[in-house]
Amino acid sequence: MENNIVTIENATFGYEEDKPIVKNISLNIPQGKITAIMGGSGSGKTTLLRLISGQYKPNYGRVNVFGKNISTLSNSEILKLRRNLGMLFQFGALFTDMTVYENVAFSLKEHTDLPKEIIDKIVAMKLEAVGLFGTQHMMPQELSGGMARRVALARSIALDPQLMLYDEPFTGLDPISLNVSAMLIKKLNNALGQTSVLVTHDIEASLKIVDYIYFMANGEIVAAGTPEEVKKTNNPIVRQFVDGQVSGPFNFEYATTLNYNTYMGLNNQMEKFS
Amino acid sequence: MRRIYNTIAVIGNPFTTFILHLGRITALFFQILINLTYSFKNFRLIIKEIHFSGVRSIVIITVSGWFVGMVLGLQGYNTLERFNSVSMLGSVVALSLLRELGPVLSAILFAARAGSGMTAEIGLMKATEQIDAMSVMAVDPIKRIVAPKFIGGIIAVPVLSLLFNTAGIWGGYFVGVVLLHLDKGTFWSQMQSSVNLHDDIINGLIKSFIFGIAATLIAVYQGFIAKPTAEGVSLATTNTVVSSALTILALDFILTALMF
Repeated sequence: MENNIVTIENATFGYEEDKPIVKNISLNIPQGKITAIMGGSGSGKTTLLRLISGQYKPNYGRVNVFGKNISTLSNSEILKLRRNLGMLFQFGALFTDMTVYENVAFSLKEHTDLPKEIIDKIVAMKLEAVGLFGTQHMMPQELSGGMARRVALARSIALDPQLMLYDEPFTGLDPISLNVSAMLIKKLNNALGQTSVLVTHDIEASLKIVDYIYFMANGEIVAAGTPEEVKKTNNPIVRQFVDGQVSGPFNFEYATTLNYNTYMGLNNQMEKFS
Repeated sequence: MRRIYNTIAVIGNPFTTFILHLGRITALFFQILINLTYSFKNFRLIIKEIHFSGVRSIVIITVSGWFVGMVLGLQGYNTLERFNSVSMLGSVVALSLLRELGPVLSAILFAARAGSGMTAEIGLMKATEQIDAMSVMAVDPIKRIVAPKFIGGIIAVPVLSLLFNTAGIWGGYFVGVVLLHLDKGTFWSQMQSSVNLHDDIINGLIKSFIFGIAATLIAVYQGFIAKPTAEGVSLATTNTVVSSALTILALDFILTALMF
């Protein structure tokens, strides 16, 4: 039987209870695997990630991380739980008043009593792992977007967390950086024995590295499967997303009760012409 | 009937919002107090904040103090001359600065220079997810960011106030003694005989300390509640300066009524 690091049972969350962003979601994240959560913009992927990291608590349902129900934990217990958790933010979220070294060493200094010489070596190892050894003295403003994201990755793995959460790690990267990042995630997951959750809408890069995929639309999980199953599936929602079709079950337009033609007065014009 | 309800809601809304903010800011104050130990253990963080909010405000504080002192010297001289009491100029300048203008103006200038900076820094950290990142890294942002800023602020304001007073007194001296040829000995001796250490200097410092708490607390609170957008941070920065100035002036009235 698989050991699940994260178990979500019928979780619903919204800033206002009558406007849920994530609706009645249930999923499992098995240990040692890379699980992707995919879906279009605004489908609730990042919110789901924030539910796992304990930044939000569900309005209904349960979110269990490392076997603990997030809803019942106090703030200090959540902070304690997060020591086993790393998160890579969409744009890195590096501390802009600190050097690369200080960023990567941040959690080591905060949570351990290691001497400086050891911290220096760990920082060097983590930066080497992301291919950025030698940038210790640089400020975040001096780094490119891709480099900043890799420094943020080095920072998030500084304490060798058991669970890694990646929020859109491929957004805005050139094809080379994108593949490098994807391989890095795979390599780190295997080498450090981590469990990874990847929120992304990049199909191509994700299918190469993930073990399981959940598809989200309008705050709900609409499909799930392994990369092979996803490639072969005839599920119209998955097909539209994987093939990037313009028309299909995913509605591109904002759901509104207003009618564009009526709003622009086009119906009257039509009548005049006909 | 509906119109009456709406009118009551419109009138009541600012009051309920004010009470809500007051409650939240009090909760933040207690959270800071709980986390003070961490800041004192990491004293370099406090030093950094004293440098940011205090040392970098020295120029604006001393220059402003100097000009305020000069204006007091001029106005005081003209007024006292009518009553043949120009010898009292030293006392007038010193008492005005030590009791009122020093603590109040230095705290307002601190809010405008350093408080707005604190709000913008925290607001931008929020907008760029740095606060979230810190929290996910199991470090409480109140402990790591807010508490050192708070301590730095409440140390800096009384010291800045003393600098303002000193620069102001020298400004008054410059106008009274150097420009208007008042006797130097009279200027200082009158000041020495009328200024009381406890009533004037210590009370002024107590005022500064309380203004420092208010200005710093408002600055960090506004940063934390800022909307994570360019407009949100800009609005929060403005709110810091406006709220701090009004709070300092209101507190000044209360403290003056209690102290003097």
